[in-house]
Amino acid sequence: MDPSSTGIQEPFDLIRLSLSERVFVKLRGDRELTGVLHAYDGHMNLILSDVEETIMIVDMVDGAPEGQGTVKVAKRKMEMLFVRGDGVILVSPPSRT
Amino acid sequence: MDVSPSPPASPPPPPPPHAQPPPPAASSGSPTDFLKGVVGKRVIVRLTSGVDYRGVLSCLDGYMNIALEQTEEHVNGSVTNRYGDAFIRGNNVLYISAAEPL
Amino acid sequence: MLIFSVFKTLTDQQVTVELKNDLSITGVLKSVDQFLNIRLDAIKVLDETRHPHMMAVKNCFIRGSVVRYVQLPAEHVDTQLLEDATRREAANQGKR
Repeated sequence: MDPSSTGIQEPFDLIRLSLSERVFVKLRGDRELTGVLHAYDGHMNLILSDVEETIMIVDMVDGAPEGQGTVKVAKRKMEMLFVRGDGVILVSPPSRT
Repeated sequence: MDVSPSPPASPPPPPPPHAQPPPPAASSGSPTDFLKGVVGKRVIVRLTSGVDYRGVLSCLDGYMNIALEQTEEHVNGSVTNRYGDAFIRGNNVLYISAAEPL
Repeated sequence: MLIFSVFKTLTDQQVTVELKNDLSITGVLKSVDQFLNIRLDAIKVLDETRHPHMMAVKNCFIRGSVVRYVQLPAEHVDTQLLEDATRREAANQGKR
């Protein structure tokens, strides 16, 4: 039953091992966060500190094929943030990018 | 001791329980058998948004929350991100597909 | 339950709730329940020109499910305590 070398037995172990680490979070609505993880629960509600949010705003230029629309990126920082779990798509400890 | 009465002209008896190991659960078995079979294997996870994640399936749970290793994010056929580890919240998952023979 | 407890410790503090429709409301956290529904007093809408209908509103009840973020007062959050409580809760859920 040992799935891999990392000794993770259930997906939440991955999140538990990221407590007090900087994590990358991909959210619905073309938003991404990086921040230090301090708390989570079974819904993937999160509490992060020292957060930087990146919002991708795609302007579809007429006639441009897919991937050719200009992407505007808005960034902002927040000191301490609660993130509601239903918006979370993916969480990754950004050891590699 | 033959105590169990068998009907007359019965179909061929079932094989004894320890006759052969079952065939690998590749093309048969329940969804759960499939999921057990792909743990530790390379998989493609497609989200409802259409984004694909390719990586080694570390584990999953009953909500289809997924832990992947060596993950590549594919959007429209090109790699858009790489993650050493990735947790995917189960509600976003459309399907999990084996990317290597089971 | 853990996050609910965190919000309870932050009652009477100023928070900013960002909704999924991009409306951001700053106010004093008056109460919260297990669904993370939130009551705010003395509210101020960030971009009032975009939301003129909110100008007369002084307090509100926010359904938990429409919340995207809540910006918390960092000085009132003990991060070490949070991490310990999260590990405890995770350990208890593991025993099933």
